[in-house]
Order: sequence, then C-alpha cells, then structure tokens
Amino acid sequence: MTDRVAVRMSGIVKRFPGVVANDGVDLEIRAGEVHALLGENGAGKSTLSNILTGLYRPDEGTVEVNGEPRVFSSPRDALEAGIGMVHQHFRLVATFTVAENVVLGESGGSLFMDQEEVAARVRELSDRYGLAVDPSARIWQLSVGEQQRVEILKVLYRGAKVLILDEPTAVLTPIEARSLFATLRAMADEGRSVIFISHKLGEVMSVSDRVTVLRGGRTVGTVNTSETSTRGLASMMVGRSVEFERVVRDNPADTSVTVLRVDEVSANDDRGRASLHEISLTVGKGEIVGVAGVAGNGQRELAEVISGMRASTAGRISVGDDIVKSGKARSAIARGIAHVPEDRLHTGLAASHSVEDNLALKNYRTSTISKFRLLKRRAIREQATTLVERYDVKTPNTTTPVRLLSGGNVQKVLLAREFSALPKVLIAASPTRGLDVGAIEAVRERLVAAANEGVGVLLISEDLDEIMSLADRILVMYEGRILDDVPAEGADRERIGLTMGGSNAQEVAK
Amino acid sequence: MNSNIFVIIISSAIFYGTPLFCAALGGILTERSGVLNLGVEGTMLIGGVSGAWACLHIGGSAWFTVTMSILVGALAGGLVSTLLAFLCITLKTNQTVAGLAITIFAGAVGLSSYFANIWKVAKTPVPRPIRTMDVFGLADTPVLGPILFRQTSLTYVSWLLAIIATVYLFRTRIGLQLRAVGESPQTADAMGISVIRYRYIHTILGGALAGIGGVFYSLAIVPTWVDGMTKGAGWIAIALVIFGFWRPSLTLLGAYLFGALQSLSSTLKARGVDISGDILDALPFVMTIVVLVLVSSRFAHRRLGAPAALGVPYEREER
Amino acid sequence: MRSPIRLERRLEQPKWLNWAVPLISLVVALVLGAIVLWLTGKNPIDVYQRIFERGFAGKKAFSGALEMATPLAFTGLCAAVAFRMGLINIGGEGQFYVGAIGAAWVGIAIGGAPTGVTIALMCLAGMLFGSIYAAIVGILRAKFNTNEIITSLMMNYLAGILLNYLIFNSTSYWRNPDSPQFPKSKDIGARADWNTYKIFGIEMPIAFLIAMLAGVALWFLYKRTRFGFEVSVIADSPKAARYAGIRTSSTIVIVLALSGALAGLGGAADVGNFRGLLDAKGLQMAGYGYTGIVVAALARRNPITTIFVAIFIGGLTKAGYSLQGPDFPSGLVGTLQGLILFTAVAGEILIKYRLRTNLGRATAVAA
Repeated sequence: MTDRVAVRMSGIVKRFPGVVANDGVDLEIRAGEVHALLGENGAGKSTLSNILTGLYRPDEGTVEVNGEPRVFSSPRDALEAGIGMVHQHFRLVATFTVAENVVLGESGGSLFMDQEEVAARVRELSDRYGLAVDPSARIWQLSVGEQQRVEILKVLYRGAKVLILDEPTAVLTPIEARSLFATLRAMADEGRSVIFISHKLGEVMSVSDRVTVLRGGRTVGTVNTSETSTRGLASMMVGRSVEFERVVRDNPADTSVTVLRVDEVSANDDRGRASLHEISLTVGKGEIVGVAGVAGNGQRELAEVISGMRASTAGRISVGDDIVKSGKARSAIARGIAHVPEDRLHTGLAASHSVEDNLALKNYRTSTISKFRLLKRRAIREQATTLVERYDVKTPNTTTPVRLLSGGNVQKVLLAREFSALPKVLIAASPTRGLDVGAIEAVRERLVAAANEGVGVLLISEDLDEIMSLADRILVMYEGRILDDVPAEGADRERIGLTMGGSNAQEVAK
Repeated sequence: MNSNIFVIIISSAIFYGTPLFCAALGGILTERSGVLNLGVEGTMLIGGVSGAWACLHIGGSAWFTVTMSILVGALAGGLVSTLLAFLCITLKTNQTVAGLAITIFAGAVGLSSYFANIWKVAKTPVPRPIRTMDVFGLADTPVLGPILFRQTSLTYVSWLLAIIATVYLFRTRIGLQLRAVGESPQTADAMGISVIRYRYIHTILGGALAGIGGVFYSLAIVPTWVDGMTKGAGWIAIALVIFGFWRPSLTLLGAYLFGALQSLSSTLKARGVDISGDILDALPFVMTIVVLVLVSSRFAHRRLGAPAALGVPYEREER
Repeated sequence: MRSPIRLERRLEQPKWLNWAVPLISLVVALVLGAIVLWLTGKNPIDVYQRIFERGFAGKKAFSGALEMATPLAFTGLCAAVAFRMGLINIGGEGQFYVGAIGAAWVGIAIGGAPTGVTIALMCLAGMLFGSIYAAIVGILRAKFNTNEIITSLMMNYLAGILLNYLIFNSTSYWRNPDSPQFPKSKDIGARADWNTYKIFGIEMPIAFLIAMLAGVALWFLYKRTRFGFEVSVIADSPKAARYAGIRTSSTIVIVLALSGALAGLGGAADVGNFRGLLDAKGLQMAGYGYTGIVVAALARRNPITTIFVAIFIGGLTKAGYSLQGPDFPSGLVGTLQGLILFTAVAGEILIKYRLRTNLGRATAVAA
C-alpha cells in the first residue's frame, strides 16, 4: 500500500425524499490497499458507493480520482475513470457464456466478435488473479461463487483500477470467501485499490488494510486495521451505549407461558438457497422479543415462515399447543398470528384498495363479514369506521385507496387490522422505518400496549436503539442463525454489535 | 413418378414457405429484443396491399417494378410496426393487446382492405408478378433443378437473409447486445446498452420483413390482391419463431415444413374431399404447442427457450 | 439513448377519469378514423352519418345492432373477466366456436323438446365446452409453464379447423346429409330456435337478455362475493394475496374457465338465436372473439358497461358490413375497431400514468 490517493470523496451529501443518506461523508482510498467500508444498514454505504460508480449524483461534495475532480453521469463514465463495481445482485445474462458476459457492452472493437481472443484474455485475467472459471461455460451452469468471479472479471477486463465490492461474501461459502480474499490481496499488491463494503467484522479484520466506519450517514472514523479489533469496530459501528429509557411495562411479560415456539426451522429464500438454518426461538405471553441484525440475514424469511407466507423445509412452528401448517397463511392467521410486514403497501396491504377493504383483508372469511360467500358491505364499512376512529387513522374516507395515505397512517391501518384481530402473536418487521417522529411514537405505544394485553411480540428491526428500548429479550440474527439470546436489561451494546457482525457468542464473551 | 411428386412437394414447399420465413425472421429479430409482435398478420396484409399498389403504379422494367414493390411493402410494414413499437415500448401497453389491435386495425377487414378499395387494387392482376427464375439455366436438371434453381428471386434473397441473420445474431457484437436486451434488459442497461433503441429498431425491422412476406402473397402466390389473402400466415409465422427456437436456420427449415403442409393440403384437396387435409392444416398448430411445451419446461428453457424478457415491458429501476 | 417521452405514475386517480377516458378514447378514435377517411378522399361526416343511421336510427336498425351486439356482449364479458385478473384470454375466439359446436350438438339432438329446456341445455353445453377449452390453456400454463398467449392462439386455429372438419370434410353428426354437394350443418330442431321478443318494436333476442343477466351476475360477483374480492386483491398485488392466505393459482384457473364459459355461451347463443345451425364459415369470418377484446378494453372491464359498449360496437359493425359497396369503403369496420382498441388501451395508460417529456431534463436526471 502506498500513500498515493487513488480516490478521494469529500463532503458528500446526498438527500432522498425524507432522508439524508449521506450527510457530509469523507472517504480516502489509497492505491494498492484493500479498504473496508463498514456500517449497519441505512448507514449510507450503498449510497456512497453508488455515487462513486456513477449511478447517483451527489447533491454536494466532490469526487477526485488520482487528484482530478470528476463528475460521473453514468456507470460508463466511472468505468472510464477506472472505477468498477461488483454488485450484490449480479448483472449477468444467464444464457450467455462467461466470455460473452465479460465482453458485453464493450465500446469500440470490431463488428465481429473474436471468441478466441476474448476467451484468451479472460483466461489470462483468471490466472493472474486466481479467478478460476471456464470462459465457455454458461452462467446458469456456474455456482454463485463462480458467477461472482465473472462479475469481477467484467470490471478487470475493462481495466478498472478501483474495484468496489458490495457485500461480496453474502452469497459465498467460507471456502469461496477465502479464495476471494486471496484474489483481492493479489489485486491490491498490483497497485489496484479495492473497496470492500461489509457489515461482517471478522472478514473486515482479515482482509482489509484500513477501515472507514459510517453511521447515520456520516463518517465515524478511519482506522488502520492493524490498530483495531472487532470490538473496536463494533463500538464504532453501533455507537456508545447511551443511557436511554427502557420502556416501563404495566404488565410485565409472563415467560412461563409460551405463545410462540419455533423449533429448528429451516427455509429457503426466493432463489432456493438456504436462508434459515434450524432456527429455534420462543416468545412468551406479553413478551417483546427483539430480533436484531443487519438486513439480509434471513429476517424477512423468518417473518414469512412464521406468518405462513413461506413454506419451511424443516422444523415446526406452534402457537400454544397448536401447530401452524407450513406455508399456509390461513393456518397462521387462524392460530392467531398477526404480521405487520416490512413491505407495507404491497405485501401487507393491497395498495389500490380502499381502507375498508384492506381492514377486511384477513377477516373477510369470518361470519361477521361474510355469509354464504357474500360480503356484507355494511359490516365492512362499520368495522372500518370503528377501527379508523380507534386507531386514529387520518383518512378522508374509509373508501380512500390506502396508497394515498401518508406513511404513518398506512402503518396505522396495518396495525389496526392486526391488533383488532386479537392475536396471540404479533410479528412486527421494521415497524417504524420511514415514519416521522410522531408516528414512530404512536407505533411503539401500540406495540407496548399489545404486549401489555398478553400478545407475544416478535420485533424484527434494524434499529438497535428501538430494540433495546422496547424489548424484554434480544436475539441476534446472522446468516440465518440466532447467534445470541440475552435479556435486554443491561445488555451490552457492543457485544450485540459484534454478534451482528458475525462474531459468535463464545468469542464475544471473552 | 414418385420422385416427381416428391420434387413438386419440396419445390412448392419452398415457394409457399418463403413468405412464412420472411415474416418469421422478422419475428425472430423482434422477439430477440424482447418484444412480442402479435400484429404480424395485419402487418403482412398492409405490406401486401402496398406492394400491389406499387406494382400497379410503378412503371419500368420487371426487375425495377418488383424491387420497388418489395421495398414499398417493407416500408409499409415498417411503418405499421413503428406504431406497435410506440405502444409497446414507450407507452408500455400490454404487448398482446397492442399486437391484436394492429391485426384488427390493419387486417382483413381493416385498413388493408380499406386501402385496397381506395386504391382499387383488388382483383386486378398485378402487371409484374414475381416469377420464378431459371438460375444458371439449371432449372431442368432432374430433382435438384426445380427445387434449387427454379425459385423466385425473393426466395434466393431469403436464403441470403438467413445467413446474414445467423451471423448477425451469433457472431457480431451488436447481435450479442441484441440478445442481451431480450434476455436480461436490466443487465444490458447496466452495461450501457440502450434497451429502447434496440427494441425500436428491431421491431421496425421485423415489421418490414413481415411486409415483404406480405408482398410475396400479392405478387407471387396469387398474384393479385385479395382481402385477407394471407389467411392466417401471420399467426403461423409467430408459431414458426417458436418452432425454430428463435434461430434463423431452424426457422427456415420449419417454414418449408409448414409450407409443405400447406401445399400438400391444397394438392390433396384438389383430389376430392380428404380428411387428411384438415389434419395437415392442424399439424403446424399442434406441433407448435408441443414444441412450446417442451421448450418451456424447466430443463429446456434455458438451453432452447424464449428470450427471458420476452413480452415484458422494460422499466428502469428508480434511481 | 433516452426516450423523449416518459411515463410517471399518477398519485391520485380522479374518479371522473374512469368514465371520461373511455369516452374521450372513443371520440379520438372516431376523429382519427375521420382523418383517414378525409385523407383518402371520402367525406367523414357523410360516412359517419350513414353508419349511424344504418346502425342505430330506427327500430329495424337498432334491432340489427342488438343482433350483432349479442355475441360481442358474451365475448366482451369473456375478455373482461380475464382482464380483471390481469390475464389476457385471447382464446375467446376458439372457445366461442367450441361452445357453438357443443350447443349445436344439443340443439340437433333434442330438437323436439320444449323450447325452454332446449335453451337451458344448449346454454349449459356451450358453457361447458367453452370452459373446458379454456381450462386446457390454464393447465398447460400451470403444469408446464407454457405461454398462455401462444397456446390460446393455436387453440383458436385448431377450433377453426375442427369446425371445418365437422362441416366440410367429414360426415359428422353435425353435417347435413341432405346436401352432399354444398356442405352445411344440420338445422337445430324446430323447437330449439331461441325466442326473440319484440319490445317497443325492437327485436330483442333472448340471448341478449341472457347476456345482460350475465353482466349483472358478474357485477354482483365482483362487488359482493368473497371470490370477487379475492380476484381483485390478486390483480392488485399477488404478494398481498399470498399474505392474506388467498389461493392464487386455483383462482387463476377458475377465472380462465369462467371466461371460457362466457365465450362458449356466446357460441351457443349464436347457434340458437341467429344462425340455427353450425355455420363453420360464418363463425370464422365473424371474428367475435377478437372483437370482444375491443369491447372489453373500451368498457374498462366493467361487466355492465361491457353490455352497452357491445351495443355500440355491434351497431357500428353491423352498419359497416351492411353498407359495404362500391361507394362505401370496406375495411372501415376493422379500421375503426382497431383504432378504438388503440385509443382505449392508450387511454388506460393515461389513467394510471402521466406523460412527461424528457427534453429539458436530459442531463440532470442521471442523479
């Protein structure tokens, strides 16, 4: 690693409606180094890297490449400046060969493709960096790790000097990850720069030369990896333990009664890959169990499996003594499982339907709302009117499409429906994300109120503060497993941060 | 005697299959870019009536008139497809409905018939029909003569087009980019390829080819304009694209197979009522369904199947 | 390269757009048609006036409109039912034929039975045949993942070939043995002819009444039943449907079967009320299935509106065909129908999106 600065980003500000993703971020990347960019979700890592690769334009701030200020209006510009990104979700054409994918979109060049020449160049790059892959293989025939190699080859082929990898090990086996790290080292030793975006502390420690930590859209600091530890990084990532108020409960949890039991449940994600690995957890009556973790570690699949939207591949879910049939949402609903999903408008609600229709979305089969397969419109309207008032939903009418309501009111509709079903279990996934302060408070009050009534609440959230203030117990989820299970009272925030980053509980306890 | 019938069947298969192939080749280009063109039938008819008009009104030598007529037919087909492209690509309407609208609009009881009426081309034999040629004087050699050397100029052009298209799709950079647009427009877009431009160009090209196919009907097969004269050839061309696995070479063979079935059916019908006529008529459609089922199975569709993004309007993700 | 025009989703969909846009679409289509007429040397006012007179003015004209509207009402409902779930049933044409075959079979077989019974049985036969024919497409889709658009199209052609076979190329049950030289179908039994009522001097076929009933029944199904609710949720968001425990794939097959049943019912009505036999050639030339899609598009998939739009398009079509002659442009019918479909579909887009030009914003948008 030299001291020559390859890329410098100064004072980057990027705003989106409702949120400031980057709030004056500085980043300095030197030639020949592997530089990790660390932070939780929402810390601003993706935005920053998207700016660097030309997908976004910063509202303020400058980007300098090799000392020269540059403005990118498209990924092509960035590539011309030598900056290439390897995305988390691959941009590959499944039916093409490796060579075809690598050469796709290359500007210039002759009309006819010289397959041999491309294959030779690909092989040369492969050998140089340890990215073994057959240029004539079709993408769909390759493993995920091999596909990632193709993505890397794509940027190398175009002469990228700065490579950005976004959560590259999320899809790799440990062996593939080690092979990747070797490749990154080889590239850095040659003088290229590698920006390694991750939330996994262990990996950051083993592969990077320096680490920049982001939090809340700002740079917390940049350290030499050799001069820090996972603990140090974790504390930078999640911040000091601030004394904040834990909620005082009227009716404390009764853990002697278990309302939700998840036994050794495994499940696959949408692509068929294993996403949950023998997860076991329990929620007691009136207990709020918080599930902490960086998004993408199986939280969505967990919520979907418990609520019956997704079939499990192993294990059992039961409410009290009743088993919930795997993959049958109706069974989950009938057993008293309520679910406030992350994706409010397109999963939890039918966006173009009215408030009253959405409030009846789950109970339209019951005898209050329907008889002989016919819907009682008046009953639906009455139910809606009552709920709108009770839950203080601001809407012009019960016939207004929910799409038109503000974020906070959309969430209120969801909560109104789920709570009024008098559930035994409530799964709340990112319930306060994107809401304004008033709405956040209202939602939290509702959650606590539900718990006071004896509902077992599973609170899945990326907001560690929220979990620490509301939950009775905290689980940490990482790569589809529960790594830690601690009481919230007196919980060590750093320890949680470490576990969120992958260090297992025993290591942490040292 | 047997080989005589055999020869007749093959050479007329090529003859009847030529317009099918032209339209299907257009369909391949369009579908490879991800757009499903169901307006082929109407486009062919517009091409046919325009070509007939041109033939009646453009004087000059036979070659000149015929060439101009073909070009006019291509132009007309291209114009109609521009409308389809606008609806499907820019307005992102459902491609099926848009294609159907074109077929109804331009079809047998639509604009093509209307123009025929206005331009008074109906039932008037065209002065310069496309005739079969005698290439190198070899048209009389046994067996191969009629098959290879007594075909129309357009047939020979179509063979050339088949070769060019194959090279284009599978050996050139642009062809690769086109196929990427049809398989994964998100990837193509990310690599800096203009999805919109590729789709427009290839939809219009496809329409031009369909128009040329239509001209073959009004200038060669009949050769006169009759309302609705393609009688479903456009739909068969759509089936042909699938049957040929979106590859020009296989589509050429398929076109001749379907053409053989068509000519076989009329040959047999001329010998009296014969059940097999209907079975022959049905075969192209049944075969296409079978092929479609095979091609769509999870195993096959990666190797042989439709461009993955076929029929789906492309929306760039919000940045 | 960026397209100069861009679509942007509307936040609010003002209610008045729901009826204004189809109306405006219709007007625009007529205007475009007028332009075509004018550019080719015809007088559009004159042409439209004659169409209107022949199509709607007077009792006889209106009766003719109703006659043509009847099959279109059924195929329109067929398309509308599928559209509502976001499915395109382009196989309505074939389902119509197959329904006609089934109903003709019944009509020929039990010709002596009381009319009411025959009508009911013919309707059932039509619906049964139509729904089975449609279900085949659904099953191919569900089990083998085959594209339902292409398979429906192929099935349309196969149904047409079947018609030809039954009437022209075989001595099937349907073939009339009395005219070996000019192939045609047997007539359905004398008492199997469906009634036509004269109401205020206008001839109203019972089939049209059945169509109206079907329209109302469908409207009721959508607004009032659980099934209708589930269908609309699936169309809105398949994910939300899954979340709420709605069984999506079986609903899709049911909707397709229902759609096919309606087209089949139209085929039955066509045989029973109008042709009195299985008219292979006439059915294939009429193209009711495809025109039904035009009707459904303009009616924005509302079952009640579909009936009214069917009357309008029916009158238009009938007038267009009957006026054909040396000084009336043939091909105007298809042209206008096509234009209506274009404008209806484009109008639909405008309800959901607004048009924005990119011209001034080319450079700024990269961010």
